[in-house]
Amino acid sequence: MKKVWVYLVLILLSLFVLGPFLWMLSTSVKPDAEVLSAVPHLFPEHWALDNYVKAWASAPFARYFWNSFFISAVETVFDLTFGAMAAYAFARMEFFGKNVLFVALLATMMVPGEVLLIPNYITISSLNWLNTYQGLIVPWLVSVFTIFLMRQFFLGLPREVFEAAELDGCGPLRTLFGIIMPISKPIWITSALIKFVGAWNAFLWVLVIANSSDYYTLPVGLINFSTDVGTVYNQLMAAATFSVLPLIVLFLFGQRYFIEGIARSGIK
Amino acid sequence: MSFRLRRSVTAYLMLLPTLVLIGVFVVYPIVDSFVISFYKWDMLSASKPFVGLQNYIYIFEDPLFHTALKNTVLYVVFFVPIVLALGLLTAVLLNAKIRLLPLFRTAFFIPYVTSLAATGIVWQWIFNDQFGLLNYLLERAGLHAQDWLNDPRWTLFNIITIGVWQNLGYVAVIFLAGLQNISREYYEAADVDGATPWQKFARITLPLLSPTTYFLLILTTIEAFKVFLQIYVLYGETAGPNNSGMTLLYYMFTKGFGDYRMGYACASAYVLFLIVFVFTLAQMALSRRVHYEA
Repeated sequence: MKKVWVYLVLILLSLFVLGPFLWMLSTSVKPDAEVLSAVPHLFPEHWALDNYVKAWASAPFARYFWNSFFISAVETVFDLTFGAMAAYAFARMEFFGKNVLFVALLATMMVPGEVLLIPNYITISSLNWLNTYQGLIVPWLVSVFTIFLMRQFFLGLPREVFEAAELDGCGPLRTLFGIIMPISKPIWITSALIKFVGAWNAFLWVLVIANSSDYYTLPVGLINFSTDVGTVYNQLMAAATFSVLPLIVLFLFGQRYFIEGIARSGIK
Repeated sequence: MSFRLRRSVTAYLMLLPTLVLIGVFVVYPIVDSFVISFYKWDMLSASKPFVGLQNYIYIFEDPLFHTALKNTVLYVVFFVPIVLALGLLTAVLLNAKIRLLPLFRTAFFIPYVTSLAATGIVWQWIFNDQFGLLNYLLERAGLHAQDWLNDPRWTLFNIITIGVWQNLGYVAVIFLAGLQNISREYYEAADVDGATPWQKFARITLPLLSPTTYFLLILTTIEAFKVFLQIYVLYGETAGPNNSGMTLLYYMFTKGFGDYRMGYACASAYVLFLIVFVFTLAQMALSRRVHYEA
């Protein structure tokens, strides 16, 4: 194929992909008068950066940010810890019912999580955990996907690493967190990113568990904000911009692991 | 305690948090959802009469459920081939030796990591009939503006567009990994035989990529059956004009958290689950046709 064509098609596809983001950025810095102009410009004639200030002030976005960050961070830390422990058991230990258990766990991945929404909602509500952090967090503390990823990685490590640690009298926890995890950086960074992004973007669960804006995360807070302000598109776009920014930054830092991790986990 | 038993106990201690959490929040709800689907229950009242298959009979007679089923299947049938084809095209292009590769790769991946709650609002604005970007571009090109969000004929198009837009990068990256696993020797041998680029693509790339394609087919199909958020961000509490955006998950959500009819909601969730299950089994039966590289 001619290189020119490769570039041309890639640029067209990139426009499709990045277009909405450019449009979002451009609208977010326009004054009210220019937002609804018949002929849209990419760059505003007058810059209205105060859209960001206004949007930030018209809903408790600081609270939403904190909630998103706190919930995602706690879920990620527990997911990695519990996931690594389970992966270690499956990769390295012999025990009764191991294969059956592993297959059963993998099978749960086939059940669409949304199907479990109602019973889980009932569980959380009967624990009186509606509108609490534990209600938002606890059901998502482990994911089978993380266990699967880590197990595959541990199986690929040389046996000697495990044996040396065990011979020195380390228990499984010391071996795992003292020796195995430090050398398994690529896989836990990948797992952490996937988990963090998933938690940050979670929508349906937060929507049903949090009925008070005190417990909204960014996605749910933003949708509520959008219903409130209606067609004040410049402020809406400003809010959309600052709410996607943290993840884009996170992705840019972690993308080497992220893309490779996803690609690798996708194949095997 | 014998050595073997002690080792088993240690292993189960390592697995304990996982087993408890998965048990409570995955295994139990799978069973519970099924049980609730045989009861009439609004969740608030104490009365919870057993109604047998009535919830299932109700939803199958409900025209809204038919709409949901039809729309979901249509979404899957269009979304999956489009996203796979565009993803493969993108991956092939990204696999060419070109400059700025990381930049392009990043660009395609950004929609996947950003929340659809935020980017969906942007799409709502793009599809706006009076001030939206799409109509502006159409008019500049001499075409007719459309009432994208209020005309039910466009609903499926809108949600497919957003779905493809969001998932393109993910599909492309996995295809890219698959492409890079294909040994260069095949292409070199084909070059010696004087094969055209199209022949190389059809005879080498596609067959050797089939495990990847197969994996993505299953994954995107399962995802597609759960289409929900695009509709919610575009149309809010309504499922689009004339319920043109009503899908299975949306139906479940409306029955459960709009009407508090948990029996109907769980019955429809189970139907969704069964459909996904049957589709996945059918696709697994296809796997015998997949070529695995020796």
